[in-house]
Amino acid sequence: MTTTWIIVDEPGVAGLLDTARNLGRPTAAVVVGPHELAASTATAGVDRCLWLGETGDAPVEAFATAVAAVVADGAPGVVLAAARPSARALVGAVAATLRAPAMVGAVGVETDGDTVLVEREVLGGIARRTERCDGPVCLVVDGGGVPEPGAAVPVEEVTAEALAVRVVENRPSSAPQVDLAGARRVVAVGRGLKAKEDLALVDRLAEAMGAAVACSRPVAEGSGFLPKDRYVGVSGRTLTPDVYLALGISGQVQHTVGIRGAGTIVAVNTDADAPFMKECDYAVVGDLYTFVPALAAALQS
Amino acid sequence: MSEPDFDVAVVGAGPAGCVTAYLLAQQGHSVVLVERGEAPGAKNLSGGVLYGRVLEQVFPDFAAAAPVERRVVRNAVTFLTSTGAVGVDLTSDRLDGNAYTVLRARFDAWLAERCEEAGVFLMPGVRVDRLLTSPSGAVTGLVAGDDELSARVVVAADGVNSFLARGLGLRPKPAQNQLAVGVKAVVSLPRETIDDRFGLVGDEGAALAMVGEATGGIGGGGFLYTNATSLSVGVVLRLDDLAASGASASDVFDRYCEHPAVQRYLRGGEVLEYGSHLVAEGGLGMLGTVATDGLVVVGDAAGLTINSGLTVRGMDLAIGSAIAAAGGIGDALDAGDTSAAGLAGYRERLMAGFVGKDLTTYAKAPAFLERPRMYRDYGPVLEDVMVRAFDLDTTPRKHLASVAWDALRTSPVGMLDLASDLWAGVRAL
Amino acid sequence: MTVVVAHKWAPNPQEATVAPGGTVDLSRAKPAVSEYDPVAIEVGRRLADAWGCELVGVSVGGPEIAAPMARKAALSRGLDRLVVVADERLSGAGATPTAVALAQAVGEVEDVRVVLAGDSSVDEGAHLVPSVLAGLLGWPSLAEVADVTADGGALVVERAQGSGSQVVRVDGPAVLAVAADAAVPRVAGMKDILAAGKKPVVELPLAGELPAQPEVVGRAPVPLAERGRRRIDTTDPDAAARELVAALRADGVL
Ligand SMILES: Cc1cc2nc3c(=O)[nH]c(=O)nc-3n(C[C@H](O)[C@H](O)[C@H](O)COP(=O)(O)OP(=O)(O)OC[C@H]3O[C@@H](n4cnc5c(N)ncnc54)[C@H](O)[C@@H]3O)c2cc1C
Ligand SMILES: Cc1cc2nc3c(=O)[nH]c(=O)nc-3n(C[C@H](O)[C@H](O)[C@H](O)COP(=O)(O)OP(=O)(O)OC[C@H]3O[C@@H](n4cnc5c(N)ncnc54)[C@H](O)[C@@H]3O)c2cc1C
Ligand SMILES: Nc1ncnc2c1ncn2[C@@H]1O[C@H](COP(=O)(O)O)[C@@H](O)[C@H]1O
Repeated sequence: MTTTWIIVDEPGVAGLLDTARNLGRPTAAVVVGPHELAASTATAGVDRCLWLGETGDAPVEAFATAVAAVVADGAPGVVLAAARPSARALVGAVAATLRAPAMVGAVGVETDGDTVLVEREVLGGIARRTERCDGPVCLVVDGGGVPEPGAAVPVEEVTAEALAVRVVENRPSSAPQVDLAGARRVVAVGRGLKAKEDLALVDRLAEAMGAAVACSRPVAEGSGFLPKDRYVGVSGRTLTPDVYLALGISGQVQHTVGIRGAGTIVAVNTDADAPFMKECDYAVVGDLYTFVPALAAALQS
Repeated sequence: MSEPDFDVAVVGAGPAGCVTAYLLAQQGHSVVLVERGEAPGAKNLSGGVLYGRVLEQVFPDFAAAAPVERRVVRNAVTFLTSTGAVGVDLTSDRLDGNAYTVLRARFDAWLAERCEEAGVFLMPGVRVDRLLTSPSGAVTGLVAGDDELSARVVVAADGVNSFLARGLGLRPKPAQNQLAVGVKAVVSLPRETIDDRFGLVGDEGAALAMVGEATGGIGGGGFLYTNATSLSVGVVLRLDDLAASGASASDVFDRYCEHPAVQRYLRGGEVLEYGSHLVAEGGLGMLGTVATDGLVVVGDAAGLTINSGLTVRGMDLAIGSAIAAAGGIGDALDAGDTSAAGLAGYRERLMAGFVGKDLTTYAKAPAFLERPRMYRDYGPVLEDVMVRAFDLDTTPRKHLASVAWDALRTSPVGMLDLASDLWAGVRAL
Repeated sequence: MTVVVAHKWAPNPQEATVAPGGTVDLSRAKPAVSEYDPVAIEVGRRLADAWGCELVGVSVGGPEIAAPMARKAALSRGLDRLVVVADERLSGAGATPTAVALAQAVGEVEDVRVVLAGDSSVDEGAHLVPSVLAGLLGWPSLAEVADVTADGGALVVERAQGSGSQVVRVDGPAVLAVAADAAVPRVAGMKDILAAGKKPVVELPLAGELPAQPEVVGRAPVPLAERGRRRIDTTDPDAAARELVAALRADGVL
């Protein structure tokens, strides 16, 4: 029988474990990181836990080839990794070694002998497809939170050689962390916002609403008005607030997939034909610069 | 003077520009085709009926090879009134091969591919800002951004707004009554639904023209064309009339789409694209200078459209002018004289061909179509006649002639008006 | 020494239509150089200029990627030459077969110092091709790269890490996926496009067997929540705001 492999490079792997458990196969984790990470993974409900040893000044990506060798050796069926750059580097090498399909967007996985059936969202989330693979398959899915600890299996240390990559300097960010995932109300801004100073307008509304502030990708990456961990969408965050208020966001599919699970969606846009107007509960046609202050005032009265 | 970069530089990869470029490349000239859209067709509002006979002269097998949507076998003209619709509906084998519906994003892209195959240097994503001219005023090339490009002949195929032609003073700014605004949408529907609603089978298509209440009485008309899995729906409104009415084009369009006679075709569809565009409606009256030193003007840029009320024609005239231009430019290049005199063959060919003949034939159509009764009053009269004929409400029947007479008497259309409109219509169309 | 950039010629699924059965029609979507790949080309151009070396583009896909439009679109953005593998079997291919073909193309280029790639492709959006390619080449891969410089035989790479950043040193070649905002891509002008028409293009036949592709056994639309799309007019912004607040309160979300 094949083994379900989990690639662990950070504590948030509960999502991978859920998917793995549903497959009803033996599970094995390969851990890249400090010993504590291996120790906690060993209590997460896996059948085996392999650890590549301390990483020293090598980044996670330096162990891609080593991870691929370990997995290839372990009768892989489904190989799971979290949607993070470092985990993708590892699973990419696994797919290369196994010459196996590597896919994103899975919403359901089943196995039948060596056959794996994957249902997934394709092309940025515009449609679903069920695909049958005869042989191993690598899937990148939402990592999820930190798993609950349970009974421990031994940590098996494997000696691994790192590729020639070294961390020279870490520059942590000083930006305050915002709990977007936990927010029940979210106000998000897009390129309809003309200047960084205008965020004050949005902040006042968010305060009146008791909402967290998120954005579209260009606002975080193009203009840099907000930190990169605040943008919503296929490459960013997936949120499920009770209410999502989108200000000056056109509503391209790569953005809207991130909030499909939201309760009520309000789109504010000068363009009545913006795609968001078709995927919302309230389509407010107008200028955010006049509507946002009016809304903040209306909320306070 | 140093060697120019190209023999010919064509601006605009619509039907006019593509066909001109294709034919000149086939003659062995070096041709560049500059288009502002990221891909040919990308900027062109989709959907239209292509009267295809003229394209067969260039691509004999285009109906099979090009991405056409449907073959038009049904043409209908409907007068919409506030209470109903009355019209003439023609389904005939004799229409076969006459016209096809096309989506421009695909069709223009196909034409541009043929150009590349023929050796045209396609340059998408570049907006031409102005023309280069010699001290004597002859056109010698193009300017886009910081770059210049030189050519023996420049072809302005840049559409109805052609500021290239206008920039040189070749075309006066058209009067409002010579311009119409088209508002158009493409609405997706499953193939079977379209087949059912229009009574079509296989690749058969329909082209419906609607007048009267379609435009709320504003000069112009509405249309509804079938594509493979979508409908092209829109209105064309005369600018002067629209301005006088105080209505906005998009409101007129919305009302048109909501009219029951239109709504029953559109029901349940999803709007894929929407936009508006100017249409030149001046006919022969708008045709300005089509060739000057180093420059020719083709298609919409030359004002070549005919709106008969029943059909909006532009693509076929664009192609016709392209054929004439390619001939004229070819002669000029071969003779080594690309001055206005050298390029004069273009206008001769244009006027001798179907484009010139049709423009002359329809020369009076614009004025005829300006008669307001065309849009406001005839629909209700016709509806009245037909209702009186079909509504068997147990009142004693009358002969159809007297039914019509009664309908006319109670309508604002006077007998003299009718006679005058009939006469004008027969002469104009 | 050579800098290689992988770029994809792909349609934008925003322009696609999805039939009720889940079949995707991409025929209305015009292919173009995938949204973020011009950023990688721009980073590559600066690097190649700084190093005084050649910048070679690699692209793989269906036959359409070898058309003049596709070639010129990439070459006009600053590449010196292009290597393409255009084969029907690569149309709509997944990350692994795509990377296998890319590895073949990269293998044709001599003395490759670094392969740059975009953040994610506009159609697949998987963020996977660069790391599978790196796996095939046996090189390290790094993503979200903001800057690259050379230090002797090594690459010094700055990349995003969490909400901060990290500087990493790579001895030997690597595959680097650049961040979407690593550079502002240039707009190609007429001279660039004219020059692009004269740049060399090598079209390689696909060598060897591709890895097996999954078989599609089912299609479905995405189950979307029905949304009300109630239009609120803002001619009077205050009235509109009151209308929205009342509606949201009625929905119980405020
Ligand atoms: C592979 C890939 C992945 C991507 N991933 C993501 C992702 O994860 N998240 C994401 O967000 N994007 C993502 N994108 C980008 C996405 O395709 C869009 O480009 C982006 O979402 C557009 O952002 P926007 O709506 O803010 O800007 P625009 O599309 O420019 O829209 C701005 C909107 O503001 C409106 N507006 C302007 N002024 C005003 C005003 N005064 N008042 C009200 N409205 C106004 C305009 O009408 C317009 O609709 C991705 C793209 C690709 C190719
Ligand atoms: C609503 C509506 C309905 C119509 N219906 C029909 C119909 O059913 N049948 C029919 O035959 N005709 C119809 N027409 C008319 C038809 O669309 C035009 O006559 C036809 O497109 C003219 O072709 P063209 O090549 O001259 O110009 P266009 O098709 O307008 O092409 C001009 C091209 O030039 C490009 N361009 C413009 N400026 C520049 C620049 N500065 N630099 C680079 N490129 C530039 C544009 O992007 C465009 O691609 C309709 C028009 C409208 C508006
Ligand atoms: N067919 C392809 N040809 C060349 N490069 C590609 C191809 N597919 C993906 N890439 C590169 O890999 C990046 C990530 O793609 P993806 O994994 O599909 O999200 C893209 O931005 C490109 O740089």
